[in-house]
Amino acid sequence: MLSLKRDKKEEEEGGGNPFYNLEKSAVLQEARTLNDTPIDPRKCGHILTKLLYIINQGENIGQNEATKAFFAMTKLFQSNDPILRRLVYLGIKEMSKIAQDVIIVTSCLMKDMKGKEEFRGPAIRALCSVTDSTMLQSIQRYMDEAIMDKGPAVASAALVSALHLGKGSHEVVKRWVDAANAVATSENPMVEFHALCLLYHVLKNDKIALFKLVSKSRKFRSPYSYCLQIRIAAKLIEREDAGSNSELFDFIESCLRHKSEMVIYEAAQAIVQLKNTTAKDLAPAVSVLQLFCSSPKPTLRFAAVRTLNKVAIKHPAAVTACNLDLENLITDVNRSIATLAITTLLKTGNESSVDR
Amino acid sequence: MDAGLREPSFYFVKAIAILDNDGNRMLAKYYDDSFPTAKEQKEFEKNLFNKTHRANGEIIMFEGLTCVYKSNVDLFFYVVGSSMENELILASCLNAFYDSISEILRKNVEKRALLDNLDAVFLAADELCDGGIVLESDPHQIVQRVAIRNDDIPLGEQTMAKVLQSAKDQIKWSLLK
Repeated sequence: MLSLKRDKKEEEEGGGNPFYNLEKSAVLQEARTLNDTPIDPRKCGHILTKLLYIINQGENIGQNEATKAFFAMTKLFQSNDPILRRLVYLGIKEMSKIAQDVIIVTSCLMKDMKGKEEFRGPAIRALCSVTDSTMLQSIQRYMDEAIMDKGPAVASAALVSALHLGKGSHEVVKRWVDAANAVATSENPMVEFHALCLLYHVLKNDKIALFKLVSKSRKFRSPYSYCLQIRIAAKLIEREDAGSNSELFDFIESCLRHKSEMVIYEAAQAIVQLKNTTAKDLAPAVSVLQLFCSSPKPTLRFAAVRTLNKVAIKHPAAVTACNLDLENLITDVNRSIATLAITTLLKTGNESSVDR
Repeated sequence: MDAGLREPSFYFVKAIAILDNDGNRMLAKYYDDSFPTAKEQKEFEKNLFNKTHRANGEIIMFEGLTCVYKSNVDLFFYVVGSSMENELILASCLNAFYDSISEILRKNVEKRALLDNLDAVFLAADELCDGGIVLESDPHQIVQRVAIRNDDIPLGEQTMAKVLQSAKDQIKWSLLK
């Protein structure tokens, strides 16, 4: 029935959607023509897109079929067409988990990661998807260089790939700590953030080092960096049972005055989640949340009311001041916001508010 | 909250998706194993679509996950994160996602245009997020990194220029022969 509907639509649109009703076997059959020479970049690009499409649709591709397609794809490294090359990287990443002997592309990718600027970042990410622990040694130096590269796309790609390679293993990621330290003060916000992620991942269990990482009183460029920093600081406060007198708490509180809403909200959320907070500590966090309640952005209202709801469980008195704002949210067009507002009011309201 | 603070995490995003106005998947990327099989993923998408396609919100808690979304003509864009995730971070990813696709499709955010530029859309999604870590949140940067391909975006003049170029090439080669 569904396909009938689609057919009709296709006719209406004339020509229709080239991607509907693609048969897996037909696409894989077509993928064999990637072996043909000379390479037609446009045609091959289209075949690769189809292949990526069926993979993205969740089609199950067997190991044999995948390996065949993968090897056909590797032939395309002979072409220097930028579009095609990028699609090949994507294909490699998608197939690297299913196909056999994917290591075959290593040397091609290593050449690309030192080659043209626009290929370097994506090539690094593709390379790391086919690399296993036995090959780490051979790529370590190149990764170091890539992390410290001047191009932010290259540096970010290398840092994120290093994190993926080291998923679950500190020993692996540790290799790149020095390089990450070198770019932690990068001018590019994303590189700075990714370097911070890597440093945190390695130092996770080293309390003193983490403390140093957080208490470094420097300005970050990325709001994401601040958010991660706040999370680390809050966790440290909890672990140390430090309470609100610590330097770390001051840092979190100072973030309530940041210019990015994302950071302000992260700080408020952290403060209300800490265990041993007094009403005095909560007050500034609650008042920024109160402000967010009347924001025109639904996401911001949702975030605020959801956090106030959590506060109300433990400290209903602290939220009472926001009751008026919460009452306005009962009729919010977003039903999740309205529901949260009502449940929060049930915890904080009293007889006098029922009348309103 | 009761279980105390969670471990600090920089894997902000669990999934991104673009669905059409029937709830069919145009593109979907899952970055962890919340939905391990394709069947579970599609079921999640269908349910999410049913919940969101008429509601004119921007955010919803769904199956214990925070989903932010945005729609245009016949396309729905989603970014999904854990229920503990900072909603504003997710919203910033959604905006980067939407704005970069919009720029690639030349503000013509609809299914037809998306399918005509599916390769560029795949590349943009790949530049946005890598394995759950936000790779780039600036839509212009994303487009720039994909835009080595802007000759592929069908635009009257460019196509014309291309035809001319290839005609020139052919003449040149036939003379050289």
